[in-house]
Order: sequence, then structure tokens, then C-alpha cells
Amino acid sequence: MARYVMAVDTSRCMNCRACILACQQRNGLRYGYYRNWVRRTPDAGSPSGFAFQPGSCMQCENPPCVAACPTLATYKGKDGVVRVDKERCIGCGSCVSVCPYGARYRDPVLGVADKCDYCAPSRALGLEPACVQACATRARIFGDADDPNDPVAKILAVRKVTRVEPPEHSPKPTQVYLGETKPTDWPRTTALAAPLAMMHVVAGAVRWLGALSLFGVVGVFLKELVLPSGSGPRDPDKTA
Amino acid sequence: MIRRHTPSAIFMHWFNALCWLLLLASGLALLANPDMQPVGAWWPRLWNGALGAGGLLDLHVTLGAAWLAVYVVYCLLYLRREVLPFLREIFRLTPGQDLAWCLRKGLVLTLGEPAMRRLGLNPELPPQGFYNAGQKLFAIAAVAGSLGLVLSGVLLALSRGLTDAENLVQWALFVHLACAGIVAVGLPVHIYMAALAPGEGPALRSMFTGQVPEAFARHHNPLWLTEPDGPGVMRK
Repeated sequence: MARYVMAVDTSRCMNCRACILACQQRNGLRYGYYRNWVRRTPDAGSPSGFAFQPGSCMQCENPPCVAACPTLATYKGKDGVVRVDKERCIGCGSCVSVCPYGARYRDPVLGVADKCDYCAPSRALGLEPACVQACATRARIFGDADDPNDPVAKILAVRKVTRVEPPEHSPKPTQVYLGETKPTDWPRTTALAAPLAMMHVVAGAVRWLGALSLFGVVGVFLKELVLPSGSGPRDPDKTA
Repeated sequence: MIRRHTPSAIFMHWFNALCWLLLLASGLALLANPDMQPVGAWWPRLWNGALGAGGLLDLHVTLGAAWLAVYVVYCLLYLRREVLPFLREIFRLTPGQDLAWCLRKGLVLTLGEPAMRRLGLNPELPPQGFYNAGQKLFAIAAVAGSLGLVLSGVLLALSRGLTDAENLVQWALFVHLACAGIVAVGLPVHIYMAALAPGEGPALRSMFTGQVPEAFARHHNPLWLTEPDGPGVMRK
């Protein structure tokens, strides 16, 4: 099984935003919604005066969105890509709020979560992700990190890699940057939404109380089999 | 024999039981994140294998809608004859007596009467009305839980068309789990007391025939027999 990884060389990005449009077109996104982005930061050292940083879902190794999803509609595939099963998604949005990168949104019409899946449908046809194909300067490099002949594996072997991650509880992003990138301090660890955090507590309480109730009943049932409580005059079957 | 349950109430009891068990099973399977549901990951896997993810959600929503529809029709048709009297009956609480009944009954079941007497505890149960204290508690939990499940469930089912509804959906999901959990915890006790406990055979049979032996009622529900709107009224 391939392990898909994207490496982004931000020094090549010139903020043409073709990747954003290509993604919208390929995936038929609704007007005004994006699966990827280019961050623009003032940078005196750059010829344009700005540092550009393309990004999208970081396809984390420990994705907080998967842990936050009550139905596991969001899952991490064996190929390393975090995906949304739209049939299972109930649109609770807990993945949207918990993502440190803001890489998700709730589709306003379908009411389900939407995010980058490295163009899974067209990838199945043998195409590269739209953002990779559209990039004029080849700032985005995509492929199978486990295949030593793959361009992404070759470049990861020789270039310094920077991970943009929150300062604490890093979800271990697998989308990486080659060399230096700016800024690196923007992702934020976000707590699970209160109702879902409370569902952990309720699930635990029901687990213990349910077990108590079930095993209590089984215990009383077995006790009655072994040591019947007797048929005194109060037993209605006898007096009926 | 005296009449205890009407045919419509018997039908609603078994219809409710069937829907509840299927909805509970499929609901716990939909809630696939093992940290957010009480049974573990094997249960969702079992159901997903049988129905597929989309099929499971469709089953749950369709079944829930059918359950709600039948209840709405029942409540409209039988409001005065059965629904309101039932609600009046389960909310007719006598806290001291009810608590004593629940505690003593629990000890009778687990310790047994002789052990209670040896410990100097009184095993005599306070006389009960149409429902005993345990039945009243479970019925209140089932009614309140079902109302919470209906409100949150309708919201969850309709939320796909709503925008900016994430917070509402999350709270609805929490309420849905909490309400189902409260009733599910009581369910094993209800099933044991009604169907498996020694001496309770007539009660179980009455949920099919509607009739209980007079002696059984005298022992279990003495206050009901002496009520002005007791079984005399039901007999008509």
C-alpha cells in the first residue's frame, strides 16, 4: 500500500492561486469554499515583500478530527490520507472545530464535512491531485513516500523538512515543507467541542451503570436458580 | 381474572419494545467512535458488515420516524382514554413509600428475605397502586428519555439542511446519547423483573392477554384494587 505524502517548497510559490482554483474545479466545490489555501506573510527578505505558504489538510498521523468524529465518518486510510465518508457523516462539525489547521468546513448544502483528500476520485484514475498538476512552479510535490523511485521520496531523502504544527500536542502532520517556511506558529491545539467531550463522560457512565445493571440482573437470576427465595404463603402463584 | 391492560396498550408496549431494541442496537452501531459509546468498536463493525454505513443510518432514521408516527397517532386517538391516565399514574409519586419500596425490593432480590430479617431489616414492601415504585421510576425515565430522543432525533435527522447548525447538532447528539443511556441502563432490570423473576409470570402473561388473577393483583397492587377508578372501571 502506498503512503501518500505531499511536500511543499514554499520558496517556489508565487501566490498565483492556481492550486486553489484547480481544486475547486476538479472537486466541484461550492462557490466561496476552498479545500486549500496560500498564506501570505509580510517578509522583507523576499523579493515580493511577502512569504507565501501553500497548504491544505496536513493528513496528520494522529488526526484530531478522527478522534473527534462520533461516527468515524472521518478516518485515516491505509494510504495515509484522511478522508470523509459522506454517507456516515452527520454534520456535527466537531472535526471542523477541532482541526488545528482549519482545513475543514461543513458543506452548506449536503451538511457534511468536506476537506482535501488529495483528489481521491481522480487519483483513482491515475491523475495527480489538481493542485499539484496546476502548479506552474512545481512547488507541490506529491507521491508515495515508501516508493524509493518516487519523486517525493527522492526529495524527502535529500532536503531538510519543516513541519508546521501546534506548539503542544502535535498531531504529526504528514504534509511537510521543504527547507524553511514562514510562518510556523499559526496552528492551534483546539479542545474537543463541549457536547462531544461530555459524550465521553456519558459513554463511560453508561458503560459502568449498564454493566452493573446487566450483571446485577444475571447475578440475581443465577441466585434464584441455585437458591430459590422460597415459596411462602406470599407467593402469588401458589395462592392464585 | 381482572382486566389490567387494554389491547391498544398491549400493542403499543410490544411495538415500543421492538422499536426500542432495534433503535438502541442500530444507534450504538452508528456511534462508531469507541470513546463516545458504551459497547466498544466490535458492535459497529458487526452492523456495518451487515448493512453498510449508509444502510444503517437509513434504517435508524426510518425506524425512528415510524416509531414516532405510530406514537403520535396513538397519543391523538387515545389521549383521554389511555395516555393521560397512564401519565397521571406514573407521576403519582409518594417519595417516602416509593424509596422504601425500591430499597427493600432491591435488598429482597439480592440478599433475600431471611438474610434481611437476620440483619434486622424489614423486608415487608409498602402496598403499591397500579404501578409499583420501580415501574413508575422506569416509566418516567422511559417517557422523559423518549421525549428527549424524539426532539434531538428529529433535529439530527433534519439538520443536514441547516446552515451554521454545528453546535445545535452536537448538543442534540449529546442529548440523544444521554437519554438512550438512561433508559438502556434500566432496561435489563425491567426485562428481568417482568419476564424472568420468579412469581412474576402473571404480569408477563397479562402483557399478552390483558388479564391478571385477582389474587396476584391483591398481592402486587392492593391500592389499585381499592381505588374508585380501579379495575372496576377497567372491567366495563
